[in-house]
Amino acid sequence: MIRLYHVVKSYGDHDALQDVSLSIDKGEFVYVTGPSGAGKSTLLKLLYGAERPTSGKLLVGGADVATIGPARLPQLRRNVGIIFQDFKLLPRRTVGANVALALEVVGAPADQIRRRVPAVLNIVGLKGREDALAGELSGGEQQRVAIARAIVNDPAVLFADEPTGNLDGAMAVEVMEILQAINLRGTTVLVATHDVGLMDRFPHRKIRFEGGRLVTPPGRARA
Amino acid sequence: MTTFLRTLRGIQEHTYLFAVSTGVITAALVLLGMFAMVSANLTQVLGSWERDVHVSAYLAPSIEPEAHPALLQSLAARPEVAEARYVSREDARAWMEGKMPELAPVLGDLGPEALPASVELTLRPEHTAPAQMSVFVRGLQASGSFSELDYGQEWIERVDTFLSVVDALGLALGLFISVAALFLVGNTIHLVVYARRDELEIMRLVGASDRYILTPFVVEGAAQGALAATLASGLLWAAHRGVLSRLEAVLALALGGDGLLFLPAEGIVGLFVGGMALGAGASWGAVRRFLGRLP
Repeated sequence: MIRLYHVVKSYGDHDALQDVSLSIDKGEFVYVTGPSGAGKSTLLKLLYGAERPTSGKLLVGGADVATIGPARLPQLRRNVGIIFQDFKLLPRRTVGANVALALEVVGAPADQIRRRVPAVLNIVGLKGREDALAGELSGGEQQRVAIARAIVNDPAVLFADEPTGNLDGAMAVEVMEILQAINLRGTTVLVATHDVGLMDRFPHRKIRFEGGRLVTPPGRARA
Repeated sequence: MTTFLRTLRGIQEHTYLFAVSTGVITAALVLLGMFAMVSANLTQVLGSWERDVHVSAYLAPSIEPEAHPALLQSLAARPEVAEARYVSREDARAWMEGKMPELAPVLGDLGPEALPASVELTLRPEHTAPAQMSVFVRGLQASGSFSELDYGQEWIERVDTFLSVVDALGLALGLFISVAALFLVGNTIHLVVYARRDELEIMRLVGASDRYILTPFVVEGAAQGALAATLASGLLWAAHRGVLSRLEAVLALALGGDGLLFLPAEGIVGLFVGGMALGAGASWGAVRRFLGRLP
């Protein structure tokens, strides 16, 4: 599903990622971990095309993200789901409208949107909350809306960048349970986090970065 | 969801920003419209100066009165001449006595030939430039039929120089106002789009194409332009009526019978087309710039 070959990402003189090669199979649940500034978020940004690697090759679902052109980037984004620490919701829109946005941009017909939005809100435990304003929800609820938006197009892979970073313990657990449930449905899930407690509670393969280097040899780091 | 509905949703969610952009475009259009209105009126006044060019051709004493009608006819037939009016010696004397009664005894002493007969020529506007006038008058002089030709050469040259300066100043001022309007609207819409940057970023991240993101912004910009043009036309009309009602007598004197002109129909159309192009173009440019910076 995801393959990296000798990927380097530099910002001026600083190497955010140094010679990273790794492989993640379809249906895996993988933690990308390490201290702040280790390169976790940079890796995720490369994977969803927000940044381009300085060198190396990077495949997501067979597409070479390193060389993908601006015209094909939307297509890549439609096949992946992305979740952020700060949720990135439109606070003045309703929960339903925020989730529907991901379907609208792919040109989904109205009746499909009407069916699909309540269904995914049910998956994330927000059944019946379609009409609530996103900005008026709790942090945990907002993150669940973001997850619903990320999975509404049935992406093959889900990237989550510190998804529990802004949440308290109970809410963080709820979010991890949802991500795990999504993974059990066959979606590849990649979670960048440094929350050791959560990783211990929901054990999965870990990829550890330090100073931009992969310190866990790929393929060996299993839970 | 259609582009129209997405545009409406954007306006509904950001009514204040919509109002600010519309207000700024309105201000820019009022500025441009005011300039166009002043220009139109100034052009009319200056044009009337140019149109008001006459040549007084005094007939040589050697030309017999019987030959005067034929001479008048040949002058009237010339392409430069809009109107030729014959003034006989008697008419000239009567006019002079009417204007300056104190000269009547002197004119009486000098006899009937005191004042020559003349032809008052009004030229077509396209032949009133100083160089053309000069050629025309030299041609009349060469014919030998006239003892004197008076056409206010110095006045015409001064008016011509003044008109050239006014044209150049008008062009420079028009350019300056246009650039200022573009700058004002461009920067305001840039700030408005900046306030909606999260929306742009989120749409990008969920896989929206640039076209999908841009279209409602451009439509919204065009709508702001159309609304601003309507408001600007109304404000200009109110200003026009306000000035007219307070200064009607002064303006009638200064501008002649037509009074203060409002924007012509093509000016109003220009406000609408320009406003919509300004709103849509500025939105397109601002969103493109932001999209270029987004992940």
